Amino acid sequence: MIKNDIKLIVLILILVIILMLVLFKDNSNNEILVYYEDKIIKRINPNIDNTYTVEGYLGDVVIEVKDKKVRVKEETSPYHLCSKQSFISNSYTPIICLPNKIVIKFSQKEDIDEVVY
Amino acid sequence: MDLKMITRVSILIALSVVINILESYIPFFNNIIPGLKLGFANIIIIYTLYKYDSKTAIYVSLIRVLLVGLLRTGLFSITFFFSLAGAILSILVMIIAKKIKILSIIGVSIIGSVFHSLGQIIIGIILLNNKNIIYYLPYLLLFSIPTGIFIGVISKKILEYPKNI
Repeated sequence: MIKNDIKLIVLILILVIILMLVLFKDNSNNEILVYYEDKIIKRINPNIDNTYTVEGYLGDVVIEVKDKKVRVKEETSPYHLCSKQSFISNSYTPIICLPNKIVIKFSQKEDIDEVVY
Repeated sequence: MDLKMITRVSILIALSVVINILESYIPFFNNIIPGLKLGFANIIIIYTLYKYDSKTAIYVSLIRVLLVGLLRTGLFSITFFFSLAGAILSILVMIIAKKIKILSIIGVSIIGSVFHSLGQIIIGIILLNNKNIIYYLPYLLLFSIPTGIFIGVISKKILEYPKNI
């Protein structure tokens, strides 16, 4: 029985490694995308310090960009988990604000200009 | 359901609701993954599953979600459906895992924890219509191992007490 438990743990660890390899392939951070459900509602340049307000499901969500990092400054939700998460600076841990249906993540900016010439 | 059973189920539900509420005041790795918790209420579910039967465990698990929803997050809110999906998937998998008898109580606890996370991710992708939630999955799976072992060990210790509720 204990042997099977250990097998189960190893299986989960393998699954975690596979998932991480697949999900965190691209670690780019030159653009911040803000999603409401599956729609991109705002594209933010992480190099400019500023605060932005977007409309979430329960109310306004205030997003702060500072030193190439981003956080949720204020929001309306039962536990305030996404504002407690504080600043993120890479694509490994997106801020997911479940009650407000808002997701904030770093992404690769598509350079359209370079294609032209 | 006889009177003894109703009383027993009520006590177990009350315990799990109280544990759930108390647990929400313990900050636990909240900076790494928001909402990550030890899942103390699962001790009661595993206890019920091993001490009594699957049916009682389902009652306790589902009514607990309903009551916690009513008391804290609001009934039929997004958070409520997250708990519900996690609870349903986790209790079903734990019942199956216990029946096929290849895992010990600790293994059952781990697999329950894994499927609790999985249920929440699935309902998140459906309800919020956003694939990005899957980024939580590797972290949640990873943490379900230590939390699963911890809860499994506590449940095992509690089950060793001869007294019944």
